[in-house]
Amino acid sequence: MLFSSVGFLFRFLPIFIIIYIALPKYRNIVLLIGSLIFYGVGEPYFVLLLLLSVSMNYLISCYMFWEPRSPQTNRKLKAARRKKRALVLAVTLDLSVLFVFKYWDFAAGSINMFAGKGCLPLLTLALPLGISFYTFQMLSYQIDCYRGTIVRRVDLISFATYVCMFPQLIAGPIVRYSEVADRMAFRRVRIRDLENGLKLFTLGLGLKVLLANQIGTLWNLIMSAGAGRLHPLVAWLGAFAYSFQIYFDFWGYSVMAMGLGKMLGFSIPRNFDHPYTSRSLSEFWRRWHMTLGSWFKEYVYIPLGGSRKGNGRTVVNLFVVWALTGLWHGADWNFVLWGIVFFLLLSLEKRTFGKSLEKSLVLGHIYTVLLIPVTWVIFAITDMGQLAGYLGNLAGYHREEILVGITQLLRYLKEYGLLLIACVIFATPLPAKLYWKWKDRWFTVLILLGIFWWSVREIVLGSNNPFLYFRF
Amino acid sequence: MNGNKIRTFMEILYNCPFILLVIVTSILFGLLSDGGGNGRNEHSIAVSQLLGDEVKASADERNPSKGNDIITKDGRDTKNGEEEKAENGTAQEDKTLQNAGARKENNDKIENDSERKEDTADSGKRENMGQMEKRATEFVEYEPVETNSRYYSDAGKVALTTAYDYVLENESYFNDAAFLGDSRTLGISDYAGLAGADFFCDNGMTIYKLLGDDGVTYQKTGEKVDLKVILQEKHYGKIYIMLGMNELGYGDTPMYLKQYLKVIRQIKEWQPGVIIYVMANLHVSQEKNNIETEFNNININDKNVASARLANGKDVFYLDCNPLFTDEEGYLQADLTFDGVHLYAQHYDKWRDFLFEHGVEREEVQQAEANGQPEGLEKMGVKNGENASQ
Repeated sequence: MLFSSVGFLFRFLPIFIIIYIALPKYRNIVLLIGSLIFYGVGEPYFVLLLLLSVSMNYLISCYMFWEPRSPQTNRKLKAARRKKRALVLAVTLDLSVLFVFKYWDFAAGSINMFAGKGCLPLLTLALPLGISFYTFQMLSYQIDCYRGTIVRRVDLISFATYVCMFPQLIAGPIVRYSEVADRMAFRRVRIRDLENGLKLFTLGLGLKVLLANQIGTLWNLIMSAGAGRLHPLVAWLGAFAYSFQIYFDFWGYSVMAMGLGKMLGFSIPRNFDHPYTSRSLSEFWRRWHMTLGSWFKEYVYIPLGGSRKGNGRTVVNLFVVWALTGLWHGADWNFVLWGIVFFLLLSLEKRTFGKSLEKSLVLGHIYTVLLIPVTWVIFAITDMGQLAGYLGNLAGYHREEILVGITQLLRYLKEYGLLLIACVIFATPLPAKLYWKWKDRWFTVLILLGIFWWSVREIVLGSNNPFLYFRF
Repeated sequence: MNGNKIRTFMEILYNCPFILLVIVTSILFGLLSDGGGNGRNEHSIAVSQLLGDEVKASADERNPSKGNDIITKDGRDTKNGEEEKAENGTAQEDKTLQNAGARKENNDKIENDSERKEDTADSGKRENMGQMEKRATEFVEYEPVETNSRYYSDAGKVALTTAYDYVLENESYFNDAAFLGDSRTLGISDYAGLAGADFFCDNGMTIYKLLGDDGVTYQKTGEKVDLKVILQEKHYGKIYIMLGMNELGYGDTPMYLKQYLKVIRQIKEWQPGVIIYVMANLHVSQEKNNIETEFNNININDKNVASARLANGKDVFYLDCNPLFTDEEGYLQADLTFDGVHLYAQHYDKWRDFLFEHGVEREEVQQAEANGQPEGLEKMGVKNGENASQ
């Protein structure tokens, strides 16, 4: 089930909220069951995988905290060993599941390519929804248990609820247990929280449905014409359109998650901090998908030694982190390439011009505004030939004559001009600032109501008629 | 106590105006759209019943085994035939209505039977080489699958390009041509290099909106124009129509056919002697094909078969471009498309060549036109004077 669907907005959410409020003593179990229904509607089989994953992880974490009754010698040492064993087991298990479902075909395909055909069989498994997110969340839990950040055993329902709760199950943010631990034990649902949560949710819905989905059609239009024979300006327009699409899509989803969290009495961490206004790529990654960035920093980069073990080691660590970040986003070579491009650029920034960029007023902005769309193009196009064609078009190079030229550019601008301006405005902190300033004013309430119904209209048109959304 | 309760209630009201507004408007809209929805459904059932009959009637009349003598005696439709038809116009109409009434009482099974008979007759016709063959659209049958959708059913057959002695043309053929359609026609406009033709198309265009008041974008100027006005003012030699994609999830196939019929009727009225090409809807790729929704090739084919029935091989021709771009299973080849729906720009020249190969000589059409009323539509059993621009 998607947040931006009629089924969620008018069936699941109201029914769930009423039950949730009516049974204050059983909030965790209600939330858990609700989340499983939420997930199971769209993924009737993979919900079993989710349940299996959760119970295995819970058993392992129990083992981590297990203390034998009989007095033993070397008690501490044994406990430490046990913890280590448990952690290795958990990490192996979680990563294997993720590997089989997400990376097997990619790995096998790549090996087959180098070693000759038919070396390894392809599984062609469907990707379970949200598996990258919930796997990382469970890994963070296990590592926190191992490190002692989580001091005592959590009960099964709380753990399962933490992993499965529907606001962040499918598309993050990646919440750490410590961030929700006290709310997991006890939480109040105040009417103000419901109100503000729904407002936040509506804002996120608008970002997703009214900005991301709409501007996405422009990218689709340009890619449909075909990479390789685009006028450079058209290619850049497409790159900007995709940058906006992916940002508002993801940001909108995260804001919806925050809003839903608030309605349920949680405080889900912020995932985006106006990344497109950054002055360097390092700053961009401190503001884009913040929970993933901090996950990799906390659980990969720093354990590897971070930047404290000399320059050579720092470069290696950065490379590992960025190759993994690339792979986390998708199982294909273009994602690896995307990660490596960031590794190169970020290393370069760290060594040379990063500091001066962040100090400059204009130069840094120009730098990010031009570079980030290029990185998103690498992210978006899986086919290497097409990717090369598109990157060539961005640079003004094309092997054959241009097919999509100024005529089409003018038409696109005419059709999408206003939307592009709206996207630019919403990429700045201004709308958020105004929202927090006038959050409780009556006109804000009316505007939000307008956003809500306008979004619903688009969803209904799109679901009754998916072609209207794609607009052929 | 009571006062306290009221105060708490007011406090709640004051504290969550947004929630309350959303709930109140939801209930309001819920009530409104429920009423509207029911109304629409009834309407669409009524329309489809009516249409089912019209389609059947048209099938009857095309079907020689059911004894329609006008076209079977002589495929060329002699002047006499036309006159006779004109004389018997009212009587025939009555007959059609009677047929329709009788058929309404029949149950589904009988309707299915008659459809099957008609189809066998179609394939039988294909085997008999003769004048008839040139005139009608051919269908290749297959075993239909069960569908459960209010938008479509499996037609159980595929329409082929109308058989005709087409001639190879060049770009000048398109100097008096107009293309009406959706984003795929826009693709032809952009990338096929037919500079002489007029293109009237928009993303999301449908057969229902084509002659509507909202207008269609004239690609040469980029302005919205009213096709009702254009088609009455400027005369075209050929009109290419390619629609059906955005209609997949709107109304059912009989409704689509009826509207298509109206549009063609209207165009013929405004453009005497015009050659109309009804172009097949391009199938989608396997990735995009979704049986769960109405967005799949069965539905597209259902619409295609419906619109192919409008072709008469005389002044209305059905062109099936799908064999150019699809694989053996009928899916749009994955390497020709990004989104599974639109061709990459570079492949439109193949489409253009296909159009070049399907030129129709004008003399015969003019001759047919001289015979009076374009008779392809009469066969469909639709009354004159209906307005297409609904």
